[in-house]
Amino acid sequence: MTDLSVTGFLGLSAALFGIGLFGILTRRNFILLLISIEIAMNAAILNFVYFAAFPPGSSGLSGQSIAVVLVGFAATEVAVGLAIVLALNRLKGTINVARANELRE
Amino acid sequence: MSLEELAFLALALVAVGTAAAALLVRELVHTILWVAIFFVDLSAIYFLLDAPFLGVLQLGVYAGAVTILLLFGIMTTRKRIFSREAVTGIGSVPVALALVTFIFLVSAIGEFPQSETPIQSYDPTALSANLFGVNGPWLLLLGLIMLAGVAGAIYLVREGRD
Repeated sequence: MTDLSVTGFLGLSAALFGIGLFGILTRRNFILLLISIEIAMNAAILNFVYFAAFPPGSSGLSGQSIAVVLVGFAATEVAVGLAIVLALNRLKGTINVARANELRE
Repeated sequence: MSLEELAFLALALVAVGTAAAALLVRELVHTILWVAIFFVDLSAIYFLLDAPFLGVLQLGVYAGAVTILLLFGIMTTRKRIFSREAVTGIGSVPVALALVTFIFLVSAIGEFPQSETPIQSYDPTALSANLFGVNGPWLLLLGLIMLAGVAGAIYLVREGRD
């Protein structure tokens, strides 16, 4: 029997995903939206790392590899998101997503 | 209760608390501070799970780069960075939807059997062999997506588009 239970970890990542989803649905500021997406993404990465440490099958090493790749994906997504923030701010003078219905001039 | 369990409990509470605080405080700069603590806390959880490489990656990429990028985004989009965010009404539908998702995810936990083995730790050499071997295509895909991301970001922010 291990010290760290599967219930605790999956419960934590479910809670973090719920918080991220709540942020995605309620926040109107683009930067807060990006932060919410990051929180939800971190919840998913946590699952990969947990199942790498306690693999149900033979090797859990792939779990850590995929977590590394996912961290890279998330970083790229933030970079592109901030480019959209800058473009939106220049075009509309605001980063409120409710007022962003188009990105062209 | 063992030391690991206590450490996990404390780290999990801090993670949930900081994630919630990040989305509920009204000053954007405070949001960034809370989310930075959240990222550092998650990296501590990775160290607890014997994944030091991911812990360091989390510290470098998330707590370092992503936090600074978000701060940079705030600094370039507003005149006074400590100005407050307008209150947005928290509707009952998003809260209900998030709660339903949470309950749905929690209800699926029972499907996973409790692991009987001790924590598996991996040597960084084995991890890199796996990353560049079996999971090489994913790494290649990551490289291509990053390249596309850089090109797209430059396209979005360039001056004088027509």
